[in-house]
Amino acid sequence: MNDLQFLTWVRGTGLDIAVGIFLLGVLWRLIEIYTLGRKKDLAAPRHAAGASGLHTVFRRSLPPPGMLKRSPVSYIGGYIFHIGLAVIVFLGAPHILLITNLTGLSWPGLPTQFIDLVTVVTMAAMVVMLVDRINKPVKRFLSTFEDWFTWAVTFLPVLTGWLAVQHLLLPYTTMLALHILSAEILLVVLPFTKLFHAFTLFGSRWYNGSANARKGVPV
Amino acid sequence: MSLDAIPIHVITPPAGEPGLTGNAPPLLRELAEQVKRLLETGESSAIDLSALPLTPTDLDWLHEKLGAGEIAVTLQASGESTLNETACPGIWWVTHRNEQGAVTSQFIEVAFVPELVKAHPQDVAIGLENLELMISDL
Amino acid sequence: MQGPLIDTLARQGVTRRTFLKYCATLASMMALPPSAGRAMAEAMAAARRPSVIWLPFQECTGCTESITRSHSPTLEGMIFDMISLDYQVTIMAAAGHQAEEALRNAMLENDGKYLLVVDGSIPMGDPGYGTHGGHSFVDHLQQAAKGAAAIIAVGTCASYGGIPKANPNPTGAVSVSDIIKDKPIVNIPGCPPIPVVMTGVLAHYLTFGSLPELDAKGRPKAFFGETIHDRCYRRPFYDQGKFAKTFDDEGARRGWCLFELGCKGPVTYNACATVKWNGGTSWPVESGHGCLGCSEPDFWDAGGFYKALSVPADPLKLAAAAAVVGAGAGVAVSFANRAKKGAAKKAHQPITLADLEK
Repeated sequence: MNDLQFLTWVRGTGLDIAVGIFLLGVLWRLIEIYTLGRKKDLAAPRHAAGASGLHTVFRRSLPPPGMLKRSPVSYIGGYIFHIGLAVIVFLGAPHILLITNLTGLSWPGLPTQFIDLVTVVTMAAMVVMLVDRINKPVKRFLSTFEDWFTWAVTFLPVLTGWLAVQHLLLPYTTMLALHILSAEILLVVLPFTKLFHAFTLFGSRWYNGSANARKGVPV
Repeated sequence: MSLDAIPIHVITPPAGEPGLTGNAPPLLRELAEQVKRLLETGESSAIDLSALPLTPTDLDWLHEKLGAGEIAVTLQASGESTLNETACPGIWWVTHRNEQGAVTSQFIEVAFVPELVKAHPQDVAIGLENLELMISDL
Repeated sequence: MQGPLIDTLARQGVTRRTFLKYCATLASMMALPPSAGRAMAEAMAAARRPSVIWLPFQECTGCTESITRSHSPTLEGMIFDMISLDYQVTIMAAAGHQAEEALRNAMLENDGKYLLVVDGSIPMGDPGYGTHGGHSFVDHLQQAAKGAAAIIAVGTCASYGGIPKANPNPTGAVSVSDIIKDKPIVNIPGCPPIPVVMTGVLAHYLTFGSLPELDAKGRPKAFFGETIHDRCYRRPFYDQGKFAKTFDDEGARRGWCLFELGCKGPVTYNACATVKWNGGTSWPVESGHGCLGCSEPDFWDAGGFYKALSVPADPLKLAAAAAVVGAGAGVAVSFANRAKKGAAKKAHQPITLADLEK
């Protein structure tokens, strides 16, 4: 198989399989999670200012008082790479084109140079967070294989995409194919790992927030 | 069907768009180095303009900066070639064209006399033979 | 006609300066330093004309057209004066047995020294798909390759199989390099290839007595070193995110990037963007159409000419089925979970104080 055939495979069959597994996994897990149901809370609801599902959805995006100082890397690095990933995926012209092709939705993108800058910053933030995870004994102790694995699976599409655009290491065709392949691996892995938080994050925040609100606790 | 049925809109680029890439100015420095080398060692050199990422505007800028010198050589060989001295002696602007007049390659040559202008000894020898033949026929 | 090339040329009215000019242009196109033009001229002027045998297989003669009708007849034609083209069925005067004899003679007289030019792919499905004088193409190729100094595969068909090899490849077409393993092979892909690339390779062989530096796909690096996209004059629009969305919109008229219209420039290595076509008049992207990627292996089966590189090559077939299966699995699991919960509820037995005191 030559590089163009490899590229055509990842754009065709590979993408088909990856999107298939992704959709299968996402629907399966979402339905499973949301049909679980919870026991009815028989206690009388209490009310407190600022305690609701919606409040929690937003509040959990901000560090609790003092935490920003205690672990700045986790918070600042986390913000940077999450926002960076969103910018790259949703505002890079070729990515928008893919989304348009799959869903019919379209919006304007950002210049390549800007996306390039964001990519470098995102990768730097991710590397800093990885180093932090390795260096801090507590973080290292708490890390499982899944944490290292999902980091790698998230980092690789960013790295290969950047290398492809910059024409580094391998010819563009091969690098582009590797980039698409790594994104496909991410798609396959996403529903079955902690990366599924992309879908469950706001739902679970809402759930916790409203359960606590019933008890009159703003969290 | 007349051609008017096909809507053709020619869009002229917005005025004031410079088209300068900034790739031309460093060439002047390189030329200065090459002229220095020519003076010190007599070694001639050339810059292939078609191998560099220069826009037509860049080339115009460069042409304008270097200016026109006293000598302009025209060579008729499978299309016209011009080897023109610039305002900086020793720097020649060389343009090769094909029979249709399209530019096939463009160089800036740094030399006392461009290579192509000099006659090759073998050709000179042939010329001498012809001359001697002419003399013997007198 | 033997003797130094410059004498041959002089007899045809080609002056030394014309030749120097040609070499300077050729060196420039081959991305060699300007000084190499002079070295080339000196070496070529003294060179003897090599014998060239040109074998056509499964081809459309487009490659021959491209080279023989190239932009400036004298300049490109000059390379034909530099070689002794002993066999080329399309343009030679001889035919039938005379032609075959010319081929045999050329092979015998120049054994081990001639250049073999091949255009077209070779059918391996059945030898009957392509024969010449009662012999199959593959036999012809193997015989002619035996005594060749080097082989030049002209066009995508000879280089990589090309259109005959396109899915489902009815004739079992293969490239020259799939059959010949023991000879140096230069691939000059393109559908058709750029004329100057071929003359450049011949000039390199005449000058340095060797083939130019090749990339991993056997192509001369001088011409195939960079992608169309990297040398494209529309590249700034790609970087600014300005794309033509259809062939007749505002963007198309303004000459914006054709990436979204399926341009394969980013994955195609060729010199069209710099050398251009028809004497530097224009080239596909300049005329408003995206690159098809014709100089890449299997370009015909690379997911459609009008599909952008970042979109699926084929429509997603599994997605709908996978979504249904996923939803089904989710529902099934949720029923299983509910049953489990129900069973747990049922099995639940309240513990009384009396139980604990037992």
